[in-house]
This record gives sequence, C-alpha cells and structure tokens, in this order.
Amino acid sequence: MIGFMKKDFAMIKSNLKLLGVMFVLFAVMDFIGKMDISFILPFLCVMIMISTFSYDYYNKWDAYSISLPNGRKNSVKSKYITTILMTLIVSIITILLSFLISYMNTKTINYELTFISMLGSIFGTLLVFSFMYPAIYKFGVEKARIGIFVVVFGIAIVGGLLSQYIDFSFVTNSLTFLEDYLVIILIVTGILMVYISYKISEKIFRKKEF
Amino acid sequence: MENALEIKNLCKKYDDFELKNVSFHLPKGMIMGLIGENGAGKTTTIKAILDIIKSYKGEIKVFGLDNRKNDNKIKEDIGVVLDDMFFPEILTPNDINDSMKGIYKNWDTKMFYDYLKEFSLLPNKQIKTFSKGMRKKLEIATALSHHPKLLILDEPTSGLDPVARSEVIQIFQSILEKEECSILLSSHITTDLEHIADYITFINHGEIVLSKTTNELLDEYGIVKCTEKEFKSIDSKDYIKYRKEKYEYEVLVSNKKDFKAKYQIEVIDKITLDDLMVLMIKGEE
Repeated sequence: MIGFMKKDFAMIKSNLKLLGVMFVLFAVMDFIGKMDISFILPFLCVMIMISTFSYDYYNKWDAYSISLPNGRKNSVKSKYITTILMTLIVSIITILLSFLISYMNTKTINYELTFISMLGSIFGTLLVFSFMYPAIYKFGVEKARIGIFVVVFGIAIVGGLLSQYIDFSFVTNSLTFLEDYLVIILIVTGILMVYISYKISEKIFRKKEF
Repeated sequence: MENALEIKNLCKKYDDFELKNVSFHLPKGMIMGLIGENGAGKTTTIKAILDIIKSYKGEIKVFGLDNRKNDNKIKEDIGVVLDDMFFPEILTPNDINDSMKGIYKNWDTKMFYDYLKEFSLLPNKQIKTFSKGMRKKLEIATALSHHPKLLILDEPTSGLDPVARSEVIQIFQSILEKEECSILLSSHITTDLEHIADYITFINHGEIVLSKTTNELLDEYGIVKCTEKEFKSIDSKDYIKYRKEKYEYEVLVSNKKDFKAKYQIEVIDKITLDDLMVLMIKGEE
C-alpha cells in the first residue's frame, strides 16, 4: 500500500507551487480580516484530492492499478490514508499560520478558539470526503464532482429557505447539553464516518469493472 | 509441458459484444501472439486474466492457480503493458520507481534505471513530456523490472517507430533467453509476431478462430491463387475462406501439401499473418 500512497503524494508534490500560492493568498485575506484562514482547510484538501482522482481518471490508473498486486484493495485504502494525512498536514500548517496572523494582528494567541475552529474544519473536511469518495468510486470523478456541488448547494438553499420560515432555536436549545462533549463527539463521529465511507468505497471498487 | 496460462470456456457478455467460449493455453517459456481486428476481444480477454473485468464465466489459470482465488499471489509475477492505461502523466520515472518499490516485492531499481538508460528516458522528466513511443518504452521498462514470470502485453509496440519496435522485440527475445518467462502479446503489427511468437491465437468477433504454433501455421497454411474456373473446381471442404480479387481468386487453405496433391493448381503462396487475418475476416466461406 505504501507504493500507492507514494504515487498520490508524488502527484500532490507536483502541485506544491500552486498550493503555496493558495496558502499565501488565504493568509493575506485572513491578515486583512476578509476571512478566517481555517476555511482554507476543506477548500484546499478537496481541491488537492479531487485533482489526484482526475489525474487517475484521465490516465486510466484505476484499471492499471488492478493489474498490480493487491491493487483493488490498496488503491482505495491508500486514497483514504493519503486524504487523512493530507488533512492533518494542511491542518498543522493552517494552525501555525493562524497563530502567526493572530499574533501579528493582536499580539495574543487564542489557543482554545483556534483548536476548536480547526477541529470543526477538519470534521467538515472529512464529512465532505466521506460522502464524496463513494460517489467518485461509483460514478467517476466528473459525475461525482457535479453531484457533490448540486447536493451541497441544494442543502444550502433548502436550509436557507427553511431557516427563514421555521424557528430552529428549540433544536439548538435542546442540544446545548452536548456542548461539553463537543470535541469527543466530533472526533468519534469523524472516525466512524470515514470508516463507513471507506468500507462502502472498498465494496464498490471490489466489484468495479473497466 | 506446464502452462503459464490456461483459459477454458471464457464467456463475457456486453450489450454489443460477447466473448464466446474462449479457450487457449500458453506453455511456460513461450511467446504467444494474440491477433485479431479492433474490437475482436483481445483486450477483454486480457482484462479477464487480470481481473479488471469480473463478471465472466469460465476458468482462467495462471501458473496453474485460479486467477481469482490467487489474485495477489500471481500478480507479483505478472508484468503488464495495457493499452492506454498507466501512471498519471504528471509523474516522473523516478516517482514510478518509488511507487513500485512499495508495490512489488521483487522490484529491481537497478534494472529499471538500466532500462531507462537503454531507452534514453530521463528519470526526472514528467511522463506528459514524453512522446507516445517514449511512454510505451517506459511502460515496458516498468513491466519488466520486477522479474515477471509472465508478461501480458496489450499492443506494446503500437506508436513505436520501426527502430524502437525492433529494440523492444529484441528485449522480449533476450528476456526469454535469460529468464524463465512467458509472454502473451496482443498486437495489430503481425509482422512483429511472425518473428518472435511461438504460438499464434486468432480471435474474431469474440471467438477463437485458431490457436496453433507459428511454424505450423506458416508452414501448413497457404493462399491459393487461381482463376474462377479453377476455383469452381475446388471442393468447399478443402478451403477455409476465399476472396474474389479483380483478376483472380485468393483461397485460404489449411494444408498446402494435401491441397497440392489433390488439385492441379500451381500457385500456392506462403501465408503471412496479415493475409491470414484479412482472409479470415473479409473472406467468404
């Protein structure tokens, strides 16, 4: 499986310049107060990993990978592990940048707020991946990409419309007791959803024909 | 003789195409040329061997082992070149070497770099900067660098110029001399196969038309060239296919000697694989 991961990281490495530019751009926007840098995480990770799927698709890597030892299993497993590692690496860089920007702006660092905000961001990133990967393995990267955008925008529009007519405060009030366990809930749910997503993707790819 | 590959009654159905009871075997240490026109079923057969397609009927044994039950074990010993399927083109040969070290137990880095040198491929250049021929050479170098016992090559010489083709063919021959390796090679360029293949398997519309040793095929089969009157005197059981040309008839026969003994027709040409394919596909029965 290490070989499959090396292939994905080699693809990511070849896009390092672009990633550097994105980091600088987001850091500047955060510095001038236009946006929170923690939003960079889901955006960057999705962009990076989708590009690896696209390169795989255009060069028919998936079919080739099956001809390699343990190809069907390791192709999927390596994608998930690479994603998790990628998310952690980008998170660490983002946290460090966040500290630096916060210190340059206010001469103080709010550790707790930064960590909570990053944890939420990591959870959001893994949530997107958990839905996206089985869709990619089932329908291919092009269709899945369109599908995911339609679903995300659909939820956002429906949610936005509903919030105008329905008062959800009773739901948020009834869930306040969960606040103390927020960190644990996010971590456990995150692990569980990635695991379930992996199992679904593995099953899809095990039966896939090219 | 032990078989490196054995296929029995392989069937696979698509909406517009079907593999029908494909059966052949490749003895160890031999080269088999798999020929047939585009869409005849060559790539589908290769995909079934490699488990790239799954829902097929029939039996495929590689090194005597069922290919589905022993998938991972046999793939350690198979080298593949597939038509248009490979590593993403933003990678370099160096990246391929790093990846393959983690995939094949027997990956031989020195051998890989030796092939790169032999093929004049720069290790740090992205694949997308390579010409089609260079990419093919890289695919071949990758397929060869883990000491495979079976090479499955789908159109490995397509896109190569005659010099490069000859280099590649020589490499295949030298592998057979040095290592205990068998090769299944599908190709449109049948002249390559006439030089190196021990066996020829011809597939047409998803069915195996013939599977014989190359010598048997080239020695025994022939093309009778005759007039219409002579053609009409030939019993239909004594030929396989015929084609009416502008001034003569071309008739494919499976046994030149017997034919010559029975009929007084002088012109029986030696057959080439190209002639065989054309007559089998375009000829009438």
